Amino acid sequence: MIAQLKEKPVRSAQHQSEKQSIVLGINGVNVYYGNNHAVKNVSMPIHDRSITALIGPSGCGKSTFLRTINRMNDLIPGAACDGEIMYDGINLLNRKIDVVTLRKEIGMVFQRPNPFPKSIYENIVLSLKFAGIRGKKVLNGIVEESLKQAALWDEVKDRLDQSALSLSGGQQQRLCIARALALKPKVLLLDEPSSALDPVSSAKIEDLLLTLKEQYTIVIVTHNMQQASRIADSTAFFYEGEVVEYNDTTMMFTCPANKRTEDYISGRFG
Amino acid sequence: MNSRLLNRLAISLIVACAVVMVGTLAALLGYILYQGVSQISWSFLTSDSSAFQAGGGIKNQLWNSFYILFITMLLTVPLGTAGGIYLAEYAKQTRFTAFIRSCVEVLASLPSIVVGMFGLLVFVNYFNWEYSILSGAVALTVFNLPVIVRVTENALCSVSEEQRAAGLALGMTQWHTIKKVFLPAAFPGILTGVILCAGRVFGESAALLFTAGLSSPNLDFTNWNPLSANSPLNLFRSAETLSVHIWSVNSVGIIPDAKEVAAGAAAVLVISVLTFNLVARLLGRIVEKKMTGK
Amino acid sequence: MSPLCPVYTIKSRKGVCKMAFKGQQDSLSLASKTGGRLIREGFSFKNILQKNGELRGKIIILTSAFFIIAATMAITLFLTLQGLRAFTVDGINIIDFITGTEWQPNRDGNPSYGALPFIFGSFAVTVLAALVAAPIGIASALFMTEIARKWGQKALQPVIEILVGIPSVVYGLIGLSVIVPFIRSQTGGLGFGLLAGAIVVGIMILPTVTSIAADAIKSVPDDLRHASYALGATKWQTIYKVIIPAALPSLLTAVVLGMARAFGEALAVQMVIGNARGIPDSLVDPAATLTTIITLSMGHTTSGSVLNDVLWSLGLILLVMSYVFILIIRYLSKRRKLS
Repeated sequence: MIAQLKEKPVRSAQHQSEKQSIVLGINGVNVYYGNNHAVKNVSMPIHDRSITALIGPSGCGKSTFLRTINRMNDLIPGAACDGEIMYDGINLLNRKIDVVTLRKEIGMVFQRPNPFPKSIYENIVLSLKFAGIRGKKVLNGIVEESLKQAALWDEVKDRLDQSALSLSGGQQQRLCIARALALKPKVLLLDEPSSALDPVSSAKIEDLLLTLKEQYTIVIVTHNMQQASRIADSTAFFYEGEVVEYNDTTMMFTCPANKRTEDYISGRFG
Repeated sequence: MNSRLLNRLAISLIVACAVVMVGTLAALLGYILYQGVSQISWSFLTSDSSAFQAGGGIKNQLWNSFYILFITMLLTVPLGTAGGIYLAEYAKQTRFTAFIRSCVEVLASLPSIVVGMFGLLVFVNYFNWEYSILSGAVALTVFNLPVIVRVTENALCSVSEEQRAAGLALGMTQWHTIKKVFLPAAFPGILTGVILCAGRVFGESAALLFTAGLSSPNLDFTNWNPLSANSPLNLFRSAETLSVHIWSVNSVGIIPDAKEVAAGAAAVLVISVLTFNLVARLLGRIVEKKMTGK
Repeated sequence: MSPLCPVYTIKSRKGVCKMAFKGQQDSLSLASKTGGRLIREGFSFKNILQKNGELRGKIIILTSAFFIIAATMAITLFLTLQGLRAFTVDGINIIDFITGTEWQPNRDGNPSYGALPFIFGSFAVTVLAALVAAPIGIASALFMTEIARKWGQKALQPVIEILVGIPSVVYGLIGLSVIVPFIRSQTGGLGFGLLAGAIVVGIMILPTVTSIAADAIKSVPDDLRHASYALGATKWQTIYKVIIPAALPSLLTAVVLGMARAFGEALAVQMVIGNARGIPDSLVDPAATLTTIITLSMGHTTSGSVLNDVLWSLGLILLVMSYVFILIIRYLSKRRKLS
């Protein structure tokens, strides 16, 4: 499985090339929190317009790794990392990266829905306005489009000016996804997006991700192995900061190559 | 003693204490309003105070109180909210922050008369602003800054940490996230705190004795030129406020109707402070409701 | 494999990273042009705008931090310098000043500046006020949190907030027109004195003590209560044996904060204490405190005179005491964290 990593990260031409082109080429990434070596020498490719699931027991470093991709770990004092994440021909871990622009292209949705305490409309246009997108018509268009993409439009189209906090948990999470989509990111990172939701909302999010896969590259951290097996194209199993196994999801769940993966998948620990 | 009996006795005592507290407030307000409201009349509110005759009003003191309050808030609110933002958002657990926190703590616990003395030394004498609105307002700013800083910090800290991640993950800078997400979300809390603080400033006296002074020129309310000596807007004239007036007629004044004037002024003061309190709660609740949509 | 091997460390949450590069430095210039938009440029217009937003924010915020520090330092410094003048310039003996009981600043030829009566008065008023406020305040807090949990809070919270908001001169006025005459009618003396001052200030600090005490008691975990009730303890036994010990450092903090406020209160005390110059013989004899003598004399002195300097020394004592109160509170909160 690691063999794929040997190939040089290819510059991807977004939204045109065949499925197998690599968007993020991850090579020997290490993350440290002080003395704690949280992510150890992780390498894997993230393919264009596919869903990659990161699974593993709590504290195995999968969320930390996800947050490294769009440099959200910059916010944590004492965090440091090395290695390379090649994206569009450059290393995202480089010092000269403009994290603000980076995060527009690599969006993120968090475990707990965190809409801003503002109206539904404002939630979406806030970052657009900051990105310099002006004009009521343009903004309205993007709001409608992204809410439709997030399968939320029909539920909220009559109350866009209401507070986002009046939505249900599942709706809030879809709003957060819509908010991220509004910036037209290349990659969408999701950190256990449905673990705080009820099964019905969770299923809706899964359906949504399968639709979004047609246009976006998705990396999802999940605790739920059924979820991974249902939606992911490839899966990486994290254990104690290392990637124990990375493979095509079907392969991984039918005949895991590693004993620990097998134990985890069959529910013997974790 | 029987433990059940002791229990009952102790609890009755606790209830009695709570009743004493409520009773104190009721008696206090009742007394002030009962004594004072009968003194309040249109002419009491709109005539100049007198130095030694009976029948003086509180027009100028009332105006001075509001004017000093306005200037103080004008200085305190921006500085205080900025300080609160710094402590809540930008600075975490460095030595410098710990030092600022200590400074806030020291400023908050200074006796107001000490702040007044400082004002006398620096603003009145050294800057040569004399006894003036400006000296008083700056002294009160020093005194109230820590309150607003804390109010802002608390209000911001109650906004969830996840909002910050959300803002940054959407490609916004930290300042933009603070400005557009955190400050609006914390606004009801800050607003309530600021208005309550305004009530405190309105009633403050000791810090003003040596900074705004014990006298007020007879103001000419047709003259709005801020540079003229008896204009209400002049920043560099001495200005006795309502609460200082209450103290001075009782302690150093010689007017024969000191009791009546003090009672009337106290009633006006208490009614104003109660209004601030009420407005703060109502506004806070309304804004909160509007924002959360609940 | 790229030869690039960057190591970066994040200094703080400000989003500013400092990185140390090992190996080849400028592989960025070799980077594909397509990814160029992600690279921070020195002088792009958009960059400057964004940065300025961030910069402007920081400037506003740091101005405030600077002002807070400057005000604190200036007050401490000026009060110390002015307060020490009496000893350094005017040659008053500091021991005589603190222990002297005679305050005769205007006596011709032989003025005497003994501050003990005022120091005594301040401490007496503070301690007595705490004796008034602590039992009532803590009991009211217990009422809010332990006895009538549902509505006690709702009923007492507004009372506390209104009491906090009432200006100190109004408390003084009430003292002057209600408490002083009452004491006069009971004891036959003047009515002005430490007792009247203590009652007035005690009521003033009551809401402070109550609200902090209530917070302290609320933060005692419910498990402790349940454990106590499960052992068959009565409500009072639970309060006395479990809750009060568990919340003790915070309850003490509440009382100390109240005392700090009492120590610095000026005008309300001045109106009811009687403003004598000696140490009072009883609770109902007129007395004076540090704040009252400053209130009354400061306006009549000229800057630089001996009396003025001595008054500044009294102010310095107030300042030092407010630092002492802070240290006590810090000590208590450290104990709270340990327990």
